[in-house]
Amino acid sequence: MEIDKIIHEPARLRIMMILSGVEQADFNFLLTTLGLTRGNLSRHVEKLESAGYLKVKKSFKGKVPNTGYELTQKGSRALTQYWEDVDAIRQLGQSL
Amino acid sequence: MNSKQHNKSQDQDTEKLKEIPKWVRKYAQNRTLTIIVLMAMICLFSMFVAALVGFLLALAIAGFKKGNMILGCVGIAVSVAVLATISIFLIIIFSKFGGKNRGLLDQRIDKWIYRKEGTATVPVPKSSKKKICLEILSGVIFFICIFASWHLAIKGYIAYKYLQPVSALYIVPFVVCGWYFWKSPRMGPIYLLYPILYAGHAILIVAGVPIFFTTENFCIFSICLPMLGYGFLPFIIGHIYSRYALKKLKGITHLEGDTANGD
Repeated sequence: MEIDKIIHEPARLRIMMILSGVEQADFNFLLTTLGLTRGNLSRHVEKLESAGYLKVKKSFKGKVPNTGYELTQKGSRALTQYWEDVDAIRQLGQSL
Repeated sequence: MNSKQHNKSQDQDTEKLKEIPKWVRKYAQNRTLTIIVLMAMICLFSMFVAALVGFLLALAIAGFKKGNMILGCVGIAVSVAVLATISIFLIIIFSKFGGKNRGLLDQRIDKWIYRKEGTATVPVPKSSKKKICLEILSGVIFFICIFASWHLAIKGYIAYKYLQPVSALYIVPFVVCGWYFWKSPRMGPIYLLYPILYAGHAILIVAGVPIFFTTENFCIFSICLPMLGYGFLPFIIGHIYSRYALKKLKGITHLEGDTANGD
């Protein structure tokens, strides 16, 4: 059993968990909720995007550009699998 | 800390992390400040129009009654001018924020209010032509019911006391169905507080509590005031709850120090 290393990182796990609860969240929301720096958040988001776990939606709110993030089906499946693996490891640890 | 205690605290942290989707959904569902601002804007605008036109018409009527034709005519002319200006203003507003731009005004207000926190949205129920037609039709039926019961009360078929309880018979199912078919999951179950309070108000009146208007001119307020008052309340509670949900969410997700800046 191998834990998904992309999701296992604390900030990325939190990003994935936030996105699994809503349809879409924008950059600002993730920034204020996680307390990361802009650069750091961008880097984590890029990693998740390149893994195909989330997709970026660029739009305009009036005249202001807005970047929203959405969890993909692949991301949703990976997150479910991640928790199943974590729970299995925890149970294994308890039984030892 | 021994290893058992360490494992226990790790388990607790993991369980907390699993609560993130719940809190973020609750937060997104209860971002109701935009609705409160919109409702307040509509109420203030309606009150302003009613007061302005009412004052001008009263002035005109007083002028005619006293034989002062100039005052009467000026009152009527200014009322017409005010109504024309308001109509033009509404046409401009609808052309800018109606039709294809429907929801743009809400979006702008939302962005302005929540500019510091950003945006998180829950899925909006899919709209179809059939759904929109049904929405308009049920809205028309709803207003016909209100005006019919008001008219029946004035004609003496419904006692003023029972005007609000009678209205609860159609308002409560309308609001519950409206929430279920059109608003959920965009709005959380906190919105159901509205029909509960409205029904509670009706029950209190039937039980003999004098919370209604008894004159012909004011009897419609027996419906309007509870409708508006109880309409605001769930949104205010929703807003307070969204603050709580955000605090809970930040408590779980906020990263500090090395964890925040590490890869």
